[in-house]
Amino acid sequence: MKIKSIYIVLILSITGLLFALANTTKTATYELVDDQAQNANDDYNKMMDVLTHQRCMNCHPSDNIPKQGDDSHPHYFGMARGKNDHGFEATNCNTCHQSENNLNSGVPGAPHWALAPASMAWEGLTREEIAERLLDKNINGNRSHDELVKHMTEDDLVLWAWQPGVHANGEQRTVPPVSKEDFKKAVENWFANGAVIPSK
Amino acid sequence: MKISLTVNGELKTVEIADENTPLLWVIRDTLDLKGTKFGCGKAACGACTLHVDGEAVRSCSYPVKFAEGKKVTTIEGLGDRENPHPVQQAWIEEIVPQCGYCQPGFMMATAALLNKVPKPTDEDIDKNIINVCRCGTYYRMRKAIHKAANLQLEKENNQSKEL
Amino acid sequence: MADKDNGSKKVSRRKFLVKGGLGTIGVVAIGAYIFRNPIRRELLSFANSLEAPYVDNTDKPMVWFEVTTNNEILLHSPKMEMGQGTFTGIAQMAADELSVSMSQINVVHAASSTGNVDSFATGGSTSISGLWQPLRELAAMLRVMLIKEAARKMNVDSNQLTVEDGVISGNGKTLTYAQAAEGVENWEVPDVPDLKDIKEYKYIGRPVPRVDLDAKVYGDPIFGMDADMPGMLYGAVVRPSKIGSTFVSADISAAENMPGVVKIIVEDDFVGVVANSMIEAEHAKDAINVTWESFENLDTAAITKMMTVGNGNATTIQKNGAAFDEGDDFETLEFRSPIGAHAQIEPNGVVASVESDSATIKISTQVVSITRKEVAKRLGLDTEKVNIVPTYLGGGFGRRLHTPHAVQAAVMSKAVGKPVKYFFSRKEEFQHDMFRPPTHHIIKGKLNSEGLLDTLEHEFVSGDVATDSALIPNALTNFLGADVGAIRGGFIQYTAIPNFKTVYWHVELPFATSWWRSLGLLANTFAMESFIDEMALKANKNAVDFRLHQIGDEPIDKRLKNVIKAAAEKANYTEEVINGRAMGFAASIDANTPCAQVAEVSIVDNEIKVHKVTVAMDPGLAVNPDQIRAQCEGCVIMGMSAVLYEQMFVEDGELTPTIYGPYQMALMKNAPKEIDVVLLQGKDTPGAVGEPPLGPIGAAIANAVRRLTGQRLTELPLQLS
Repeated sequence: MKIKSIYIVLILSITGLLFALANTTKTATYELVDDQAQNANDDYNKMMDVLTHQRCMNCHPSDNIPKQGDDSHPHYFGMARGKNDHGFEATNCNTCHQSENNLNSGVPGAPHWALAPASMAWEGLTREEIAERLLDKNINGNRSHDELVKHMTEDDLVLWAWQPGVHANGEQRTVPPVSKEDFKKAVENWFANGAVIPSK
Repeated sequence: MKISLTVNGELKTVEIADENTPLLWVIRDTLDLKGTKFGCGKAACGACTLHVDGEAVRSCSYPVKFAEGKKVTTIEGLGDRENPHPVQQAWIEEIVPQCGYCQPGFMMATAALLNKVPKPTDEDIDKNIINVCRCGTYYRMRKAIHKAANLQLEKENNQSKEL
Repeated sequence: MADKDNGSKKVSRRKFLVKGGLGTIGVVAIGAYIFRNPIRRELLSFANSLEAPYVDNTDKPMVWFEVTTNNEILLHSPKMEMGQGTFTGIAQMAADELSVSMSQINVVHAASSTGNVDSFATGGSTSISGLWQPLRELAAMLRVMLIKEAARKMNVDSNQLTVEDGVISGNGKTLTYAQAAEGVENWEVPDVPDLKDIKEYKYIGRPVPRVDLDAKVYGDPIFGMDADMPGMLYGAVVRPSKIGSTFVSADISAAENMPGVVKIIVEDDFVGVVANSMIEAEHAKDAINVTWESFENLDTAAITKMMTVGNGNATTIQKNGAAFDEGDDFETLEFRSPIGAHAQIEPNGVVASVESDSATIKISTQVVSITRKEVAKRLGLDTEKVNIVPTYLGGGFGRRLHTPHAVQAAVMSKAVGKPVKYFFSRKEEFQHDMFRPPTHHIIKGKLNSEGLLDTLEHEFVSGDVATDSALIPNALTNFLGADVGAIRGGFIQYTAIPNFKTVYWHVELPFATSWWRSLGLLANTFAMESFIDEMALKANKNAVDFRLHQIGDEPIDKRLKNVIKAAAEKANYTEEVINGRAMGFAASIDANTPCAQVAEVSIVDNEIKVHKVTVAMDPGLAVNPDQIRAQCEGCVIMGMSAVLYEQMFVEDGELTPTIYGPYQMALMKNAPKEIDVVLLQGKDTPGAVGEPPLGPIGAAIANAVRRLTGQRLTELPLQLS
């Protein structure tokens, strides 16, 4: 036990030292460049942590079947994309999903609840591939960077991810690992810095 | 708060404490229309299906506040014994119901389907009619849905001839 | 008890009281052998064939019928209508013997205050077969009584009078039944008259439409959930999520002051809340913090381990020959079935109104007399002071044989002095169901030199089904020697086999199990008919011929052979796989009704797809052939739902899932597009209908999959590897 305690103290000390070093004032220009790239990557990673989270990914399927839950199981009862991303003719998204979460039934809801278009199928893609799709005007609804920023930071259905309501059993749904504010900043910064996909 | 909605053609104003009360309970308990059923309360079984502005809606998961100013149709307003809806007519001709509890939801879903797809294929039926029936009346329901489509088309043809 | 020793079940008796306080006394002596005891043998065969005639009020036509002023007949049915079509069948029987038209008969559920109370239950596929003789006699008695009154009023000899559509005529005069009955105060009940010749019947034997068709198509408020009473409040009861929980204490402080809350009721055995609306009651219920003493955390694996042949008490329920040499070269297969939920769409619900010296209960129940006694006992009232007003059931399937919620609603009503309506949430329905118990089967067989079975042994284990229920207390198990529900379908039907034996093992589960439509039949027939199919393949014989050669010569055996032949012929049964589709064959006898089925199956996207099912069944005389077909169709679909998709799990001590979807059931897209039903009549009285067609479907599908893929699937729900 005593030996373990020593290790813990040691680890904490080293961590503290690293934090102290990290917070020292940056002096050299080349360090700034690297830092910018690092920040850009941070923005990209934060953004992607959100886009690849189940709250987002479940409605960007590659097989036209919406997913549900943190285990991303296929939507029960055979619901699928249908002709206009809204499900089938008579039984569609709005048969059950309304413009806000339902706390009695646990059915989630937000304005214009629907699947993302098939061209925005992200399921199974790498982060780089998702980013490429996002930026490709041929498939993103001809959206410019500004329009993408607006969509990603202001659209109610996108922002639903941080107010996802409760499951049928009354428990809160999980939210993306990055806060809404940090996500918005990350998106704005990433696009402001030219929307560079890191591996490119 | 007060909410006004048209139910089966009649304008109704209800006083409701909680605007998020499911439309189902306002229809059943406040307006005393018991044909729309409670099955699960989670929009999973479809027993509570009714129409809001002509669209199929699972009313256990539909806050009454959203019905303000809208037209709601329940099984009682779909048709009656004197003037059955083609779906009800077909259900009678095929002797579909067993216990009968899920049937209003299925009939409302079917009526909504026929409004969108007047002559549904088996595949259309499989995709759109996803309510749950425990007695296992699906086999007769499928026959009744096809029959209802024909009855509705006949009815429309007759009406257009009369015009 | 073996299962106690292996450590899989460290529980105290007290915890089992979750079963509704029915008690768990007594065990059967290990190794009991029923057939040494003639009384047991008689009782068991009676319970297994379940063709007992109905016995309540069979000499009192006035308790059953009312003649209304518009010349219609009101039939107060002691049997409940839960979709099985009983109301239509009994209306046909009454109409024919009363000489009225179908439109003149109105069937209603007999309120217990009418006195026409079924002392048993609606269930076991007994309603039409049991009422066949007594109800026609009662109707004929009423006809004689009315004719006699008419004769007096018309001053015409009753021998000169005839009746058609409720109008009595003779000697140029006519009088309606209503006119004949008018003013009569003292009725003389005659001896049972001769019944009409079956050829005279206008409705019996015809596919007349259901009498409840309009009510169910136009959305009439006929169900327990639709019942109201003036000034009614809404109740909710707090239920534990964990298996085996016992109540310790409740903190009601947060809930007490919530909007709409009228009263919170803390009793020894439940905590309830009464509010102005259902939603308010539900929200307050969620705010009550109950401390439960819960069971150790159970999981599905522990239940499966518990449910293994060799645990519990064994009873040999069938034995022929002696050649059971364990050292022999037996083919052995093991089968399992999971916990099944009733999942009926109408939740259990009740409206109770309790006054100082009486109570009225509106409820969907399959056991009017038991519901009545339980409410009376709890309220300290005479049974006669409690009026049970039964409603249509939004599905029964055995779920409504237990109605403790009637007692809870009555207690809540008494506490607030107003009628209280209360019903289960869907989660409560799933977690507090009286489940179909899981089963495990070990089947052994040996072929002789001609490729027929020389020896067949079936050992299986099940939780309680019929016994330890409200209907058959566990104490009776001692006497019967076996759970008459669990063994349904467990008997070997190939009695020409020289050596055969069936052993039933009973294990007590830590959660409540009970009747699920067809009881043990679904799992037992799945296991047995899958094994028979495997032996036919091993013998290199056609599945139909293999079966036909090993059936005995009793009347029931001949009927079984006939349904097997009829199903094979109607389906053009073949063992070949054609265009990616294969056929599977299976047959069963349940409650004296033989049934054979052929399932036509393909594999689509690695899932089992059932395209067509052919059913041949011999239910005896068919009172309403259309409704018998409907029951066959329903059983095929409910059965395929159970064998392909349904399964309850136990996770961290909780029964799960708790909602449709995760509890997967057959939907429209899964149901076969063709169901072809052939009805045979191998006896001249009506037999069981509502459950026997559930028998063959599991094995029929599995046997088709075997032919398609080579895989012998031995666990329900059937899943391809």
